[in-house]
Amino acid sequence: MWLYILKRALQGIITVWFIATATFFAMHNVPGDPLTNDRAMTETTRANLESKYGLDQPITTQYLIFLRNLSRGDFGISFVQENREVNDIIREHFPVSAILGVLAVVFAAIGGVLFGALTALYRNRLPDYLIMFLVILGISVPSFVVAALGQLSLVSLNTLMGFTVLPVAGWGTVMHMLVPALVLGLSTMAYLTRLMRSSMLEVTSSDYVRTAKSKGVPPTRIFTRHQLRNAILPVVTVLGPAIAAITTGGFVVELVFAIPGLGRYFVEAVQQLDYTVIMGTTVFYGAFLVFMVILVDVVYGFIDPRVRLDL
Amino acid sequence: MNDLTASSFAPLSDQQHGEAIARPSLSYWQDAWNRLRANKRALVSLYIIIGLMLFTVFGPVVWPIDPAIQDIDQISQPPGTDRTAILVSDYEPWFGTPGLPGTGLRLAERATSQAVRLQWDALDGANGHRLYRNLFPIGPELSYGIPMAEFLNNDTLYFEDRLDLQPGRFYYVVVALDERGLTTDRYQFISVDIDRVTTLAEALERGLIDESDSVQIGDAIALALHPLGTDYLGRDLLARLMAGARVSLFIGIGAPFLFVLFGVVYGSAAGFMGGRVDQLMMRFADFVVALPFLLFMILFKIAFGIGPGESGVFPMLVALVVLLWPSTARLVRGQILQIREQGYIRASQLLGAGTPYLIMRHMIPNTLGVILVTVTFAIPSAIFTEAFLSFIGMGVAPPTPSWGSMSNEGIKTMLTTPHELFFPALFISVTVLAFNLLGDGLRDALDARMRNVE
Amino acid sequence: MTAGKENVDSGIPLLTVENLQVEFDTYGGTVQAVRGVSFSVDQRQTLAIVGESGCGKSVTVQSIMGLIPTPPGRITAGSARLRGHETLGRSTVGGKQIRGAEIGMIFQDPMTSLNPTMTIGDQIAEPLQVHRGYSASDAFTEAIRLIELCKIPEAAKRARQYPFEFSGGMLQRAMIAMVLSCKPSVLIADEPTTALDVTIQAQILDLMQELQKETGMAIILITHDLGVVARMADEVAVMYAGKVVEYGSADDVFYHSAHPYTVGLKEAMPMNDPARQHVLKPIDGSPPDLFAPPAGCGYCPRCPYAMQICSERQPQGHNLHGHHFASCWLHHAKSGRKPETIFFKDAR
Repeated sequence: MWLYILKRALQGIITVWFIATATFFAMHNVPGDPLTNDRAMTETTRANLESKYGLDQPITTQYLIFLRNLSRGDFGISFVQENREVNDIIREHFPVSAILGVLAVVFAAIGGVLFGALTALYRNRLPDYLIMFLVILGISVPSFVVAALGQLSLVSLNTLMGFTVLPVAGWGTVMHMLVPALVLGLSTMAYLTRLMRSSMLEVTSSDYVRTAKSKGVPPTRIFTRHQLRNAILPVVTVLGPAIAAITTGGFVVELVFAIPGLGRYFVEAVQQLDYTVIMGTTVFYGAFLVFMVILVDVVYGFIDPRVRLDL
Repeated sequence: MNDLTASSFAPLSDQQHGEAIARPSLSYWQDAWNRLRANKRALVSLYIIIGLMLFTVFGPVVWPIDPAIQDIDQISQPPGTDRTAILVSDYEPWFGTPGLPGTGLRLAERATSQAVRLQWDALDGANGHRLYRNLFPIGPELSYGIPMAEFLNNDTLYFEDRLDLQPGRFYYVVVALDERGLTTDRYQFISVDIDRVTTLAEALERGLIDESDSVQIGDAIALALHPLGTDYLGRDLLARLMAGARVSLFIGIGAPFLFVLFGVVYGSAAGFMGGRVDQLMMRFADFVVALPFLLFMILFKIAFGIGPGESGVFPMLVALVVLLWPSTARLVRGQILQIREQGYIRASQLLGAGTPYLIMRHMIPNTLGVILVTVTFAIPSAIFTEAFLSFIGMGVAPPTPSWGSMSNEGIKTMLTTPHELFFPALFISVTVLAFNLLGDGLRDALDARMRNVE
Repeated sequence: MTAGKENVDSGIPLLTVENLQVEFDTYGGTVQAVRGVSFSVDQRQTLAIVGESGCGKSVTVQSIMGLIPTPPGRITAGSARLRGHETLGRSTVGGKQIRGAEIGMIFQDPMTSLNPTMTIGDQIAEPLQVHRGYSASDAFTEAIRLIELCKIPEAAKRARQYPFEFSGGMLQRAMIAMVLSCKPSVLIADEPTTALDVTIQAQILDLMQELQKETGMAIILITHDLGVVARMADEVAVMYAGKVVEYGSADDVFYHSAHPYTVGLKEAMPMNDPARQHVLKPIDGSPPDLFAPPAGCGYCPRCPYAMQICSERQPQGHNLHGHHFASCWLHHAKSGRKPETIFFKDAR
């Protein structure tokens, strides 16, 4: 078990290193640099700044310096937000994105399993049609439209009630998180619902459910003891990629709901070629995703007894 | 049983009916097509997709309006056909109407898109007034709106609003100020319905009327037709949707087609060669998958350097193909490896079939279904990606319209003019929905395991 | 309702099935999978239902258990009575659950018939909790005893393992333990040994016979393996195309076969008695399409003795002697051919 986790962690570190390297060279080969902006700059100032940030060194030297700093967990100082450490930016804004993302995944997973099981139980009856219609909507409507609609409905709700039921934008309390997380998790929830439905239908027609029926086990007990756990397995396997998708999609929700997450800093940094912030956030996101995927795999091992021995 | 005769018990001559097959046999594709046709949702989706193609290709022929032309008379105009403006005389300055009947905050004359002329009586204990304009009623939380004017004495009790007036309803609030110029809780408000007007000179300049037309003050003049309304710059939404469809569908269909094609070639090459080469090729594909998608999309855009007047459609297409091919490559390689192990391939080889024959007769027909389904599902995701990138401002460059960039513009005015968001979002949703349902139908129809069951 | 106990001694067979008919709605039309099947089985007796794939054996017994998925399946006619009480369309008889308590069933593929994410012990204990109201821990203790009874070594350890840690033969033993937990009066075994090695097959069959002696249950054994039939069965029903074509004691059916299909099956079966070795003869052709059942005898197109009448009318049932029954025109009084010359040539 621990050996398995160690092995996966090692693979993860190699993946993150690769991402960092690819990003580093791609970023430096793109025309322009973080010092090229609106401000006029004399040749001397520019030269001074270049030597301060080490931009006058050959690219391989810069890469080696980056790697050495990375091994110490130091990402340097932002180019654009002067004198602000990249580590500070991450420390301040990453938890916001992470909480939002994790909450969205939780919403998506619980909703997906619940609705998927319901549609399978009520196959070809009203609840099935109703939920599947909503699922199709969830898959077909772009995330930013869902976010806008979510905010719009909050505005109307607050107007209707005459007081602020849930805040329309901003961050801070649980109240701020609910609707953005729901919006962020919606398309994943729709996807998981579909997956859960087909998985549930497959389990329902399986031999062991027939065996349980032949034993005279009542339908509710068949559902809880036999169908649910087996049907959840494929849903758990896609949770890793789902977390990745939600993290990428988080940017739109952060934008619409004015949430101070890391996603916004990331996109701004890429646009301004803020080298240190790009590297910092990329490596950090990469490590986070690798960690989540390993976590999902370990959890899967606890649900499916068949993979336990392989660990 | 009395009707039974000896001849009934005569042996049957021949076993002529031993191996009769009861039902006609269908080829794989015939059967798939039959089952796709039986799937109503998939069929309707197919018609919708064909309709969208026709809309994109022949729409501009039917509705030849330039999507870039601005109609200043009709900015953020909701959909509808009945658009007129009343002809009024040229603007003349106004400094209050002495002895205007009525009390409180009131209109001095009919409110028009030329000017809103307001007049009021001094509020109790006021040492001045501030005037606000709002798009919404004042409400319980006393939101006044944008301050338009401030008067620090009670001499001026009138105001003329000429700022960016649009037909529709506006709310004006006048608030009393105390001696220090701070707002007090005494206010009056009025709702004003603004009519669209135009002057003779303007109408001539914009080609609404000819010199020869005999029109008089007070006549209604027909404005340009915008069936789906206009956007915040007065551009025709229908024309922009057609132009945007070209961009969105070009990227949405072109990119999946290209990256699936590349993925098929790459994946089948890896699958065929096997061994070391296969390992190396797949490792490379894994690396491409691991790249952070959004970051590299933006870097690609910067690397290409979109110059003035360029739309950025081509760089986006290239970036999508470069970043998205590995999943198809992996899928096709898996299929090829699986099929290579199948008994019928061995049987075919034993009968002397060569590699080209195997590829043509077995590999392609057996992977084509999976590839077709992959393309169908890749299209909605590519359309989403284009919309997402345009939404965050990293997609096609303005003024080139795409459904994503139109949604991005529409979302800013969502509360006042929802149609600017609604139509592009509707087109994205319907297209994505149609491709998704068609993909579902295709997958079910092409799945050989599903044959003869339902 | 009150007569449940008395019926056991009143000469009524334990389980009687009469004129059972089952249909399935499918993509291609309605399949008449079972077209009027009748049989009965008594305590301590084993009835074997024999026939090739798709002849309706499994559908017949699943209908008795109420395991036919509805829709697409539909029982259109017939009855199944346990101690005189109708079971079709009901879940209890005489106050007892039919499924699991009165009738137990084991399936063909033990690998897929057990829940992969539940321990063997829990799965064996489940019927006890459901039908007998055992507590979870009592049920588990009883499950360990049942595992021992079915001759699985290290029962206590095995009970905590999952199906993927068992071999096929062990899983089938666990299935039997599970079915026996509530001491059913009828055990239905749907091809219980088909998926197993030959050596394991014999062990499983021995186990079933042994347990039958102990508990006195009736066994309905579905198989297409005549060797298994010879070893186990007291009575045999031969099914073809959704109908029972021959029915009688094992001796009658084997040594006085009265239907050409039974003869065909025997000729297609290898013998290990050198004195009676013969060239294996496959039955040509394939069973009729049950989307559109033939007007005459279903076996007619493949039958070497087919007559004009066979393709036109359904054969009647003929009671040959005592309990032996066959449904074939050759036994008709007006048939010119002597059935004995066909069927009884290898009679002792």
